[in-house]
Amino acid sequence: MKNTVRILRSEKGWSQAELADLLNVSRQSVNAIETGRYDPSLPLAFAIARLFGRRIEDIFLDGEASAQAAE
Amino acid sequence: MSRTKGFRSANRRYLYVFWPFMAAYVAIILGASFLIDKDTSPLWLKVAGALAATLPIIGALWAILRRVAETDEYTRLRQLTALAQGGAITAGIAFLVGFLQIFNVIGSIDIFWFGTLFFLAYGLSVCLLQFGKTV
Repeated sequence: MKNTVRILRSEKGWSQAELADLLNVSRQSVNAIETGRYDPSLPLAFAIARLFGRRIEDIFLDGEASAQAAE
Repeated sequence: MSRTKGFRSANRRYLYVFWPFMAAYVAIILGASFLIDKDTSPLWLKVAGALAATLPIIGALWAILRRVAETDEYTRLRQLTALAQGGAITAGIAFLVGFLQIFNVIGSIDIFWFGTLFFLAYGLSVCLLQFGKTV
């Protein structure tokens, strides 16, 4: 699943390690989420959304829904 | 029923108990090799030595499983994957060695080494997951 975590993190000027500290997860977790190798659970997705002051669907992009909308 | 404490706390709690267990293991092995003679020592001493050397290993396994339960979800996934891979590799090699023994291709191998093999395979899997991009 694509997401905008890397962009939002860059806007805040945080490193992956700093974001990991704020979310209480490993830096590898943040890296895996940013690169799309791992989709977080709902509680972690909510925590990420809360941290950036956005809605989950603004951060995590449902590729299927986007494709249907484009058709 | 989540016992998650987060990555840092889980790691700290893991290291606080893992290294003392490993230090105890080394001390007990050194002590046992000094005190126990395979041929002449009494049975109770041999059994006590075996139990004493095994307890820190059980403690280390407990520490690993507690960290798996308490850490963040991605680390838990990777640890469980590594544990499963370690178990699968160990089981596969145990069956191969077992059949080779049944067919009289090789002599008997101490079952002790399969425990060592599990930790080796688990460690190797952790390294591959750490540096690879499989999960």
